[in-house]
Amino acid sequence: MSTATTEHAVHADGIWKIFNEGQPNEVTALQDVNLTVESGEFISLIGPSGCGKSTLLRVIADLTDATRGDMRVAGHTPPEARQQQLYGMAFQQAALFDWRSVRRNVELPLELQGWDKAKRKARALELLDMVQLADFAEHRPWELSGGMQQRVAIARSLSVDPAILLMDEPFGALDEMTRERMQNELLRIRKETGKSIVFVTHSIPEAVYLSDRVVVMSPRPGRITHIIEVPLGSERDEDTREADTFFDAVTAVREALRGRVGGSDARAKVGEV
Amino acid sequence: MSTQTADRLKLIWPPVLIAVLFLSAWQLLVVVRDIKPYLLPAPSLIAENFFGDIALMWQTALYTGTTAFLGLVFGTIVGLVMALLAQRFIVVNNLVTPLAAGLAAVPIIALTPILNNMFSITSRTPRVLVTAIIVLFPIFVNVTRGLIQVQPVQLELMRSMNAQPRTVLRALRIPNAIPFFFTAMKVAAPLAVIAALVAEYFGGPQQGLGSRIAGSAANTAYGRAWAYVVAAIITGLMFYLIVVAIERWTTPWTGRTRSA
Repeated sequence: MSTATTEHAVHADGIWKIFNEGQPNEVTALQDVNLTVESGEFISLIGPSGCGKSTLLRVIADLTDATRGDMRVAGHTPPEARQQQLYGMAFQQAALFDWRSVRRNVELPLELQGWDKAKRKARALELLDMVQLADFAEHRPWELSGGMQQRVAIARSLSVDPAILLMDEPFGALDEMTRERMQNELLRIRKETGKSIVFVTHSIPEAVYLSDRVVVMSPRPGRITHIIEVPLGSERDEDTREADTFFDAVTAVREALRGRVGGSDARAKVGEV
Repeated sequence: MSTQTADRLKLIWPPVLIAVLFLSAWQLLVVVRDIKPYLLPAPSLIAENFFGDIALMWQTALYTGTTAFLGLVFGTIVGLVMALLAQRFIVVNNLVTPLAAGLAAVPIIALTPILNNMFSITSRTPRVLVTAIIVLFPIFVNVTRGLIQVQPVQLELMRSMNAQPRTVLRALRIPNAIPFFFTAMKVAAPLAVIAALVAEYFGGPQQGLGSRIAGSAANTAYGRAWAYVVAAIITGLMFYLIVVAIERWTTPWTGRTRSA
């Protein structure tokens, strides 16, 4: 879109996030994080619980602020980016409002931006068409399955046409089959819209299948340990999941996760805070 | 249509059957054991009094019902305003529960004689006020809870969409509180009838249900006293059913499973 194309989607320079700084219960959630997400790039943040991947996403989204360091989102500070709606966000919970129809849930960000009714409706229907839920526009959220609800949430996050999508484990609560279908949907939406995407996940195959680069993080203190390029190109489909390059990338990510931490279940062993 | 009607009948006949059995057993007990009306009048005697002067029953219920309605409306409005104010200042939900407990311990009915002295005892005002105060608490406590207990993820979503606090209130907190409001109303509406009725026991105009239950009992007209009790039950039930109907009509999403 506008300024976003000329800037990096996200540029993190020496980001620290320390909870309860100076107190006995001090926790370093992020330690000196440096990361650049190119415009149009798909980046996954992966790592065990407590590695700070969600915290990093929340700093980008201005849902929390960095203790130190400089964060730029489409060239702006996170508060500016939030105020100008330069990003859209989707969470693990669809967080739809039961008292609104599916269509009016998608319209919500537009309503907050002061769009007029007819334009809002047209835009929402266009997006529901893209996530293949046009027939459910006037349904209530509770009438939809978990996967459909999450598609509505994605449509909602796209409604103001932001340059960047921030996704915090959006498929985490879905079953494996639905999850894989949703991943294909997301790849298609990405291709159609050219968004830059920062995607937080627990799943190695999911990160590899979706991303251009996988950012591997480790806990205590939360930091980036590896950044792995995924050489799968831009055309990905079900066959990709069975390709050798795919398995190689999965192995690379898995080894990176083990490299420093000794496996994702070894959190308790590492006590270097 | 016909299957729907059959389904409805299936729902209706068990409680009807139980009511008929219960009333028959009651009647039988009174007749066989020759129980005096001041202990327990027979259903037939109560029915005789109720239907014998149905116009008076209606007028009496209407008088107390009007007091209850005025108190309910007034108390609801004040309760809602208080909840909106509380929502701004009580950010932590934990504070609502002790507050509610404290308020529930106030003996409101006991205020009636005091209010009777403060306002004219010959007017409806003290009774409406007592009813309003009683109604106010469940409304205030529940609606405050509904305004505060929103899903954290929904608050984050609103923030990510750059929603201002006033918008969060309008688009998230208030709709979220509506089911809580109706839960409170279902308690408050029959409670309003009881409050309006009991407030009549402390003197003042005598044309209400409470006055006439007390008056009939004092005049050993036990069948009549019980007939007024029946009228009071019907009035309370009507209040409840009207709230349920409004709830069904306005908020089809309540009672559904919350979206993940």
